[in-house]
Amino acid sequence: MEFFQNLAADFVNQFEMTFITEQRYMLFLNGLKTTLLITLAAAMLGIVLGFCIAYVRTTHDRTGKLGFLNLLCKLYLTVIRGTPTMIQLLIMYFIIFGSVKIDKVPVAILAFGINSGAYVAEIFRSGIMSISPGQMEAARSLGLNYTQATWKVILPQAVKNVLPALGNEMIVLLKETSISGYIALQDLTKAGDIVRSRTYSPFFPYISVALIYLVIVMLMERLLNIMEGRLAQSDR
Amino acid sequence: MKMISRRSVLIAAGLSVAALALSACSSSSTAASSSAASSTAADSAAASEAGSTQSIVALEDLKGKTVGVQLGTTGDIYMSDEIGGSLDIAAVEQYNKAADAVQALLSNKIDAVCIDDQVAKKFIEANPDTLTILDTAYAVEDYAICVSKDRTDLTSSLNEAIAELKADGTLDAILDKYINKTEGAAGYVTPEGTEYPNGTLVMATNAAFEPYEYIENGEVIGIDAEFGKAICDKLGYELQIEDMEFDSIIPAVQSGKADFGMAGMTVTEERLQNIDFTDSYCTGVQSIIVLK
Repeated sequence: MEFFQNLAADFVNQFEMTFITEQRYMLFLNGLKTTLLITLAAAMLGIVLGFCIAYVRTTHDRTGKLGFLNLLCKLYLTVIRGTPTMIQLLIMYFIIFGSVKIDKVPVAILAFGINSGAYVAEIFRSGIMSISPGQMEAARSLGLNYTQATWKVILPQAVKNVLPALGNEMIVLLKETSISGYIALQDLTKAGDIVRSRTYSPFFPYISVALIYLVIVMLMERLLNIMEGRLAQSDR
Repeated sequence: MKMISRRSVLIAAGLSVAALALSACSSSSTAASSSAASSTAADSAAASEAGSTQSIVALEDLKGKTVGVQLGTTGDIYMSDEIGGSLDIAAVEQYNKAADAVQALLSNKIDAVCIDDQVAKKFIEANPDTLTILDTAYAVEDYAICVSKDRTDLTSSLNEAIAELKADGTLDAILDKYINKTEGAAGYVTPEGTEYPNGTLVMATNAAFEPYEYIENGEVIGIDAEFGKAICDKLGYELQIEDMEFDSIIPAVQSGKADFGMAGMTVTEERLQNIDFTDSYCTGVQSIIVLK
């Protein structure tokens, strides 16, 4: 009996040390805010960038135009996918923005957004290429020009196809932001690290951080399910 | 065939553009980072932009400034308490490595770095034209070895070894080698025929803290590494060094992943609640690095 009482007391004590002492819950809350902000902004940047690249690449593949832009896009994909995200983040912070005093959040958004853009580009490209050439030919023979046919016929179908893969990439992006701590940015993971460095007890900080990530990912999955269901209404 | 050759030309072109971009990038970066090593016209211009006269000359000047520290160090603990404290600093940025904090200072992202004096001196040696240490020491502290609270027997045998090595001059010899830089100081060398009947002791450290522990030629060396070796030789254990993040050392020792932690670690009240310390073997001073 005493054993369990001790265990409960220890549990309460640890909980208090992790969250209540010195208002440490604020560290977690602010960290969560930073993580969400970076993820959202980087996701938007990544999607815009990825979409533009996919558009250039597929246009080149299908029509043979935009040769130079296509080359640039390929270079971007090779460099960004060929180097670790963490190195890109460190290069962005210590080299590209090396001599200016700059808020770290935009640096992280830029680094993660540019990184994610490369992956999103290939996701979009696979979606666009998955639509059979017959669709384009049919649209063109109905009098739509290439741009119209792409926007009105190809893309709506492509977006539906890539949604699961895109959701995947967003989840990866959310979790990848956990390396922001390397540039002393206080995201959710760093908050756990800081609290652990004060309490010397890893259990509560890490388990809580893990649970918060899990809950966010579950919410994202739920959102994706709703979107997929909505888009599937036209399937029959 | 034609397709392939055309593609390989494309790839080659792409790669050369990449190489160009990279070299442009790296040359600008070396320009930025070598501003420390050489004082060219451009550097002094950059320095005057940031205020050519040293803007922080005393501890009081830290008011409203941002100070970089290494996560979990006493510098971190002290400085975090100074937010709205007597120094009234604005913010603390916790980097994983002291070198990252100094790099951030060099690139104007923070105003000062709080770190142990011997380590600070190494950074000044590397950047003599841009960095300087404030004359006033911030805090004086004792370094000791941390051991799990469950292993009081190990703590007491470590204490005995420390006392003996202090008395026979081994510790002084190591300090002469690394801190006083005495000519021909050999430090500690394992005597021939040393046997390890008691097995292995794992030492947790953070080898990015010259001169206490750092990596040279792939090996962890420094005061702590050499003194740790001397202690283990004395006790008949073989020493195995595990390099990890500084803030991971105490949890590693607590959970038995390492037998003891030795990393220029200061005895503090908060740490003592979680872990035991041996007798102190060194004193350190927390000092503040600022831009010249």
